[in-house]
Amino acid sequence: MTKSFPDRLLSLFSWICAMFLISSVSIILGFLILKGYKAVNLELIFSDVRPLDALLLRQRVFGGLLPAMTGTVFLIVLSMALAVPLGLASGIFLSEYASSKIKWIFSLTFDILSGIPSIVVGLFGFSITVFLHHYFNERIFPCLLISALSLSFLVLPYIIRTTQISLESLPLSLRLTAPALGATKRQNIFFVLLPSSLSGIISGIVLAMGRCAEDTAVIMLTGAVATAGIPKSIFSGFEALPFYIYYMAAEYSHPSELRKAYGAALLLLIICSALFIFSYWIKNTLKTKHFTGHNSL
Amino acid sequence: MKTNIQIRMENLWFYYHDRVILEDIHAEIEKNAITAISGPSGQGKSTFLMILNRLWENIDGAKVKGKVEIDFGKGFEDVYHESYPVHQLRRRVGMVFQTPNPLPMSIYKNIAFPLTLMGEKNQATLSHRVETALKKAFLWDEVKDRLLENAETLSGGQQQRLCIARALVPEPDILLLDEPTSSLDEASIRVIEALLLELKKSCTIILVSHYMDQIGRIADHRLVLSERKLRPAPDKARDIQNRIEK
Repeated sequence: MTKSFPDRLLSLFSWICAMFLISSVSIILGFLILKGYKAVNLELIFSDVRPLDALLLRQRVFGGLLPAMTGTVFLIVLSMALAVPLGLASGIFLSEYASSKIKWIFSLTFDILSGIPSIVVGLFGFSITVFLHHYFNERIFPCLLISALSLSFLVLPYIIRTTQISLESLPLSLRLTAPALGATKRQNIFFVLLPSSLSGIISGIVLAMGRCAEDTAVIMLTGAVATAGIPKSIFSGFEALPFYIYYMAAEYSHPSELRKAYGAALLLLIICSALFIFSYWIKNTLKTKHFTGHNSL
Repeated sequence: MKTNIQIRMENLWFYYHDRVILEDIHAEIEKNAITAISGPSGQGKSTFLMILNRLWENIDGAKVKGKVEIDFGKGFEDVYHESYPVHQLRRRVGMVFQTPNPLPMSIYKNIAFPLTLMGEKNQATLSHRVETALKKAFLWDEVKDRLLENAETLSGGQQQRLCIARALVPEPDILLLDEPTSSLDEASIRVIEALLLELKKSCTIILVSHYMDQIGRIADHRLVLSERKLRPAPDKARDIQNRIEK
């Protein structure tokens, strides 16, 4: 059967769009790799310190990116530790327990929250810090914890929405299977509904993780500094890759510094990819563990 | 003549978003018999089954008014009483759906699932009861070597027998079947019909079916649901008899 003219036009258009997207991504990645690959080496990360000494914290790294890399990883892990449990719980509540009126109000609130520019979230975190510093404890300063808190506010709507939507889109036949076998509501959610919507939920978390990794505005106001070393605790200032990239690209005094910024961007991309792969690995392990084998659920 | 009544329904109404689906239903269902319900599509036959295990409560906008009493061996109990635990009811009243609905798990885990829900952890008990249920559903020989494979890899007929086996695991007194053979081939249908005749000895079976020949082959009692009412099916033989006498 030959396709009609509008059909062919539509598929041509889809092709062009897809190619456009793929080539944009390739151009950005290619540009980054071209500009940055020469800069990515052990010296970029560890400067003139021996890698083992730096990793064992025997010697502090000043010129290298190790502190910024650890800062970014800590920041992502901490923000996720705060946002994921809260986001999952809210998503489950909205999809499974909330009445339609509450659902409407909450959804509106989360949509507004997701539309707030990150600089405003940063300002919010900053004001909280100032408030706490004045009225509670003079030792409270912008730090890793406050950055992570603000970032978790920023990404919460993604996690809530994807959890809610993946649960709500499960077919009724699947929803009724476990209750018909005598499952309570809680058992249905944990044994059937959540595992079945794991893919959607994980992609929400991955999206949120990417957002945490790249956001500069929030951390600039709430704790990221140019030199802090590897963060000693969650109450200390920290360095982060996106902040380093922004700082270097804006104020470089020599082309070699700009090259280091490209190197940093490439490192950030590598860290993100590693985290994405890790979360997909978690998803697959959970799925296999839950859905196959003799072991009890 | 029904002598051994297990389910009694009185003055029962079912609403979906203010629309009346079932109107003033009165019914008595006999123990250890196959009661078949037929009737036009979309008239609430599935709904009628869901009233017996209260599964409609998981569907938004559904509402029931009236009385349903079931005798589980200790006299008639009002299963809609607010103190009646709904998950207990659903273990005693099993259900098999029109489309086979294995969970995306291994065959073993699917069958063991109702036990897992009850908190059974003993592996020996689990594997024993999985084997018993699969044998009851005439499926054991076909799957005994592939218990750890995903249940979705089974054929349609096998999946439906898996679902019957799974529904049998909690040892229900009543089994509800919603057009269980409508998506299956002739051979699978015969196997399931034989299975139901065997199950009748230990279970009360209520079967929704479109196939008149199927109902004729296995049903002890026939009901017809149309225009929101449940009525006994017109008995053709008796009709003819009446006409002759006139």
